[in-house]
Amino acid sequence: MNDVNTIIIGAGRVGNTLAQALGKKDSILVIDKDKRKIERLTDFSGFVEVGDATDVNFLIQNGANEAENILIVTDDDNINIFLADVFVYLFNRKHVLIRLKDSRKANLVDPIVKCICPFDLSLADFQQKMEEGGNQ
Amino acid sequence: MKIVIVDGKHEADYIISMYNNRKNDVIVINQDEDTCRYLSAQNNIPVMRGNPTRMSDLQLAGAENADLFIALAESEFENYVACKLAKKFLGAKRCIATAINPKNVDAFRSLGIDSVMSSTYLLGEQIRNAATIENLIRTLSLENDEIHITEFRITSDMYICNQTLKEINISNIASVSSIVRNGKGIIPNGNTKLLADDKILVVTTHNNSNKVMKVFQRKK
Repeated sequence: MNDVNTIIIGAGRVGNTLAQALGKKDSILVIDKDKRKIERLTDFSGFVEVGDATDVNFLIQNGANEAENILIVTDDDNINIFLADVFVYLFNRKHVLIRLKDSRKANLVDPIVKCICPFDLSLADFQQKMEEGGNQ
Repeated sequence: MKIVIVDGKHEADYIISMYNNRKNDVIVINQDEDTCRYLSAQNNIPVMRGNPTRMSDLQLAGAENADLFIALAESEFENYVACKLAKKFLGAKRCIATAINPKNVDAFRSLGIDSVMSSTYLLGEQIRNAATIENLIRTLSLENDEIHITEFRITSDMYICNQTLKEINISNIASVSSIVRNGKGIIPNGNTKLLADDKILVVTTHNNSNKVMKVFQRKK
């Protein structure tokens, strides 16, 4: 698995779409504990692994501790925060992105971690489009 | 002492009853409305309904500057985040999280949670200790597993039987702190001999624990 440079944890809708979009140029490993979600990755030629990503040994066995890009998109904010800490503090990874439903929790992770908060993004988008509409 | 207890039901109830006296300021937060009512009625204290992974809820409950912050939720990741919040932003001095999966105990500890409790982990450790040496009676771990206090029974086939502590020479890795011989306690010194059927208490550190086991396992 040494040639994998990107790990995606969580194969829900976001993880699935990301894997298929990024898979065209990167070598990707997708991890999810739900076999059905992994099976839904139809248009994807990268690596897949069914297992518990919160198990540090499982991550190491799959070479996740050496990947360059880490995308953490499970649907549980608390798990995402824990995993971000594992990758930054235990595996010393520099490029870690996580999804957070609650953006108020962003200050709990290391500043090196990039937090993507769908709620904030859609709010900003709404506001921007509102302003654009008002100017027309 | 200010003690904050978040989530959990029966465990929370037990811990609250342990600490709920005039000496302590006990603050209880729980996400489940029924559990809030139950804990409040059982212990006759106010219980706030709130999410312990949310800073505003913890602040509202007055959880700042806890001497002890105990997270008992079913989800260990919720406990992890609650403890992190308490430690990083609310000045908690010591955090304890429970974890169902024993595999997460070491990771949580390495990531800064002071104590992590997993009943499966503790059971596993006990079994491992018990299986290591048949004459080991019990082991107690203190200070986050740093210090081990172990009780051994000396048998005549042990290499160390009939030797003085000076001869056994383990003073750099452990200390034999007491001996119970024929029902009487002895505080040993270097010239004290270990005899068959002595029950001894050995204090050692986590790192030296295996070396000490080897000394005691050695047969004549």
